[in-house]
Amino acid sequence: MCKNMPPLEMAIQFHGHICPGLLMGVRVAEFALQHLQVSPDQDEELLAVVETNSCGVDAIQAILGCTFGKGNLIFQDYGKNAYTIASREQKRAVRIARKFDPQPHPDSERYRVLNHQTVLTDAQTSEKENLLGAIFERIMSTPFEEMFTWQEVDFELPPRAQIYQTVQCAICGEGVMEPRTINTAQGYLCIPCAQTKGV
Amino acid sequence: MCEANVYINRDGQEELLMEKVDRIIPGEDNTILMENIFGERRVVNARIREMELVHHRIVLEEIRQAAVNRHLELWLELGTEHGHFHAGEEVKLRVHKGYNMRPKIEAGCFDLQAYLVNAGQVQELGLSDHHGSLELEVEQAIDGIAQIYVQEKGDQILYASTLVEVGHHHHHGVKPVGLPLEIVPSDYSHARLGENYEVQILKAGQPLAGAEVRVTYSSTQNQDYPHHLTADAEGRARIFLTARGNYLFSVTDGNITSTFTLIKSF
Repeated sequence: MCKNMPPLEMAIQFHGHICPGLLMGVRVAEFALQHLQVSPDQDEELLAVVETNSCGVDAIQAILGCTFGKGNLIFQDYGKNAYTIASREQKRAVRIARKFDPQPHPDSERYRVLNHQTVLTDAQTSEKENLLGAIFERIMSTPFEEMFTWQEVDFELPPRAQIYQTVQCAICGEGVMEPRTINTAQGYLCIPCAQTKGV
Repeated sequence: MCEANVYINRDGQEELLMEKVDRIIPGEDNTILMENIFGERRVVNARIREMELVHHRIVLEEIRQAAVNRHLELWLELGTEHGHFHAGEEVKLRVHKGYNMRPKIEAGCFDLQAYLVNAGQVQELGLSDHHGSLELEVEQAIDGIAQIYVQEKGDQILYASTLVEVGHHHHHGVKPVGLPLEIVPSDYSHARLGENYEVQILKAGQPLAGAEVRVTYSSTQNQDYPHHLTADAEGRARIFLTARGNYLFSVTDGNITSTFTLIKSF
């Protein structure tokens, strides 16, 4: 890949396929970059708090560079399509939430039905593909404010992720990050071994 | 007992097609040949939808004849997955014949000619057969964007064109090469997923208002073209790109069919 890959392509490549949830995440990520006037994260300049673990989070990781591995992606299991993006440099954070839609578009309803079917006929496969194209165009073309609300929020950024010492679990012998151990008379125990032993 | 009854699903209705079938052979063009223990044979345009071997039941799904007998068209694809070439690299393209980006290998190509249009100069290109697939190689050095087209003349006249980019970041459109029926990409630099892309249809160099422009993409599972656009008064048609991979635009006027392959490159 020797040209700059467009953000949308990066998200799809990371996620593996195109789906409505991912596209919602693309809109959120692109809005956050523009609103906060920041570039994608290199080394924890940005932090994302995601209140869902659905497809859109992959767009946040791919486009904003807030990733699970870097420690600047914090998951709060609230089941809400809401994302708070914070910038250390700008000292600003914005929370973006999907507007509740009491009457989803008929295309989306039909797509959901087909998506849950394990076996599709040729006609249904075509219909699903065409519906996804129509949904895709609608998500990417609809004004942002029609789909999302957003507000600047006070947000205290946690310290950058730290690298901790790795110690050996006294039972399984595997290495484990020291702050995630239980220190017993037997020595350091990893969480699974401590739970098995009833510690 | 090891034979099965074959049913066919037509518009959601299932009907018994043949009893005690002991032989099924899928053929070309979405045909299925079946033979029963009495030696009777039938061929239908269908695909196998379900096989319930315990219940000795095979369900076919009818494929409408109109969807099978379509005209053929030519199209071009790059001989690289990269979407563009770099200076010094071999520039190769493949020629396909079929429909809806589905090659029909047995169709064969006859009296095919290929041309490169680079910086206003037209040069004929050589074609070679590589394991049943036609390839053309550009030996002339290209810096920027060049146009390549192939043509096959017979009862049906077929054209296929595409753009080849050597190097990066060439942000300019192209001029028509002068085909009798031509799909002209309006702005090569804006071929991006999630954005609109526009082409113009020209017949003998003039906009073909109202032309039906078929659009497909390499990842489609549709039997037929998933998009059918209508060119406006200036012969222009635009589509929002929602699928990964290359797109193919196709237009037919009389006995001429012309295609343009949009290579997405990044």
